[in-house]
Amino acid sequence: MKLQLADYLIIGVYFLFVIGVGFLIKRNIRSSNDFLSSGRRIPLWITSLAFISANLGAQEVLGMVASGAKYGVMTVHFYWIGAIFAMVFLGVFMMPFYYGSKARSVPDYLSMRFDEKTRALNALTFAVMTVFSSGISLYALARLMEIILHWDFGFSIAVAAGIVMVYTFLGGLTSAVYNEVLQFFLIVLGLSPLVIMSLQDAGGWHNVVQQLDPRYTHAWKYMGNATDNPMGINFMSLIFGLGFVMSFGYWCTDFLVVQRAMIARNMNAAQRTPIIAAIPKLFMPLIVVLPGVVALALMQPALQHKGYSIPIAADGAVDYTMTLPSLIAHYYPSGLLGVGITALMASFMSGMAGNVTAFNSVFTYDIYHNYINRNKSDGHYLMVGKAVTIIGILISVVTAYIARSFNNINDFLQLVFSFVNGPLFATFLLGMFWKRTTGHGAFYGLLSGTVAAAITHGLTIAEGKGGWIAPIWVIKSGMGQAFIVAAFSWMANFVVTIVVSLFTKPKPDEELKGLVVSLTPRPDHTLQPWYRRVVPLAVILLLLTILLNIIFF
Amino acid sequence: MLKRLNELNVVIGIFFILLSIILLAGAILSQDLSGRANVITGVVFLIFGILMVVARSGNDEVS
Repeated sequence: MKLQLADYLIIGVYFLFVIGVGFLIKRNIRSSNDFLSSGRRIPLWITSLAFISANLGAQEVLGMVASGAKYGVMTVHFYWIGAIFAMVFLGVFMMPFYYGSKARSVPDYLSMRFDEKTRALNALTFAVMTVFSSGISLYALARLMEIILHWDFGFSIAVAAGIVMVYTFLGGLTSAVYNEVLQFFLIVLGLSPLVIMSLQDAGGWHNVVQQLDPRYTHAWKYMGNATDNPMGINFMSLIFGLGFVMSFGYWCTDFLVVQRAMIARNMNAAQRTPIIAAIPKLFMPLIVVLPGVVALALMQPALQHKGYSIPIAADGAVDYTMTLPSLIAHYYPSGLLGVGITALMASFMSGMAGNVTAFNSVFTYDIYHNYINRNKSDGHYLMVGKAVTIIGILISVVTAYIARSFNNINDFLQLVFSFVNGPLFATFLLGMFWKRTTGHGAFYGLLSGTVAAAITHGLTIAEGKGGWIAPIWVIKSGMGQAFIVAAFSWMANFVVTIVVSLFTKPKPDEELKGLVVSLTPRPDHTLQPWYRRVVPLAVILLLLTILLNIIFF
Repeated sequence: MLKRLNELNVVIGIFFILLSIILLAGAILSQDLSGRANVITGVVFLIFGILMVVARSGNDEVS
């Protein structure tokens, strides 16, 4: 793949704009609240698009196209089962507590609802996870640029990290959020031509379906038995593992995404943020799953004359991760190639900036302010927030280089993240809906969930991974293994939290007002027209989701 | 008018207009960039960019 002047111009204009947004916002940053929380004054359309864009990082874009090629239409479950329901739940049921409690972060909410040790556990694990995630994103970007454009690894790291550092340092969270919106449009509009061109080349959707084994063109039909579908899981594992534990654990408790709703102007906007964001999320498979399915069809005998194939890795296996870059290289002429490469860069930088700004807020508010230096001026915390931005990006750069030297660290870190994230939703579910839940229950439940995840991983093996205690349960795909690990960790947390809570003293009701369902009045939106009310929008969205599941059954 | 340059939708609109100019100018000036895909994408970006610039923003000033 060789870039020409027009391609470099497009990349240059993108860099100029993301840095320019940082400079424009810098003039409005006067306090730590402006820098770390955007002062709760961001309009709904921006919070909604930033909410979805914070999740539209490189792992999402490259990973979902790869999954589309590997598992076929079943990949839509990550959206229609693994996202929409949780986003609706967050908007309708959980945002009133996050927003209404005036918590500055998710760990801050845990401190109000439970105690300091639960906040500390969540804040520390989250801070470590985000900064390492940012590093992995950086590593993936530099590696991709090295493979497809033959750019020097260090050069790509320096450019990407430098640009993200400039705009997040200048404008903090607002700058990251505004750039996420720009990146959202760039990713969607930049990859749409690829979908159209590849689909047209493959003879349209009807021909794609004809070329592929039916197991790759149905979302639910072959899920009755794990051995009948490419993902190797049955519908129960999918619904409980992905649709409940992993999905709700991520969308409802991960501060990286929840933060985008917490900076909305008012409660109604905060509640509608994930619901409005769910509308583009519902149709995102068109951009990130469909190209993978088309790529698979293009490799079938009847379409091999088109000359496209997914690259082969050094070990001789199909390198599904390279599906999207190889499609871009195959279909995009110079000019459009610059747009495609810029869209890929945008997804990496969006993921990195999102992680860095979330790390910033949690470190400054929940760790530094709370445990290191409590009674300082606001100017001091603004300075700390800015310093943490630089430190976070420098740690990301170091992580990227470590990942380059020890490739297994990626798998290891992703695994640790799943151990920590998997059980978390049980803590929030019980905390918000059962006022008897105690701080001790939440803390030991979280720890037990993480231990249960590690044990389950040690007893299961899939695609050569896991089974480090004893490989007594063989699972067909790594994806299926992830669902099962998440399910066991969630159940362990749920049970231990309940048992410990029953034997420990709960907080008095007065301290739980605004933090649990039974002691909090529901926000009243009935004076608003239906299209501004949370529940009617949620119902329409759920009906649309069910309809799409039926169409692609 | 200058104040509108601080609105996010205007910033995004100008960004896509610039991209469309590069694609369309490239299609006119260079043989390598004259493909139908560049022209169609350039036109779509141009329309999207103009729509974003003229859209009412609802007080979302960048600064």
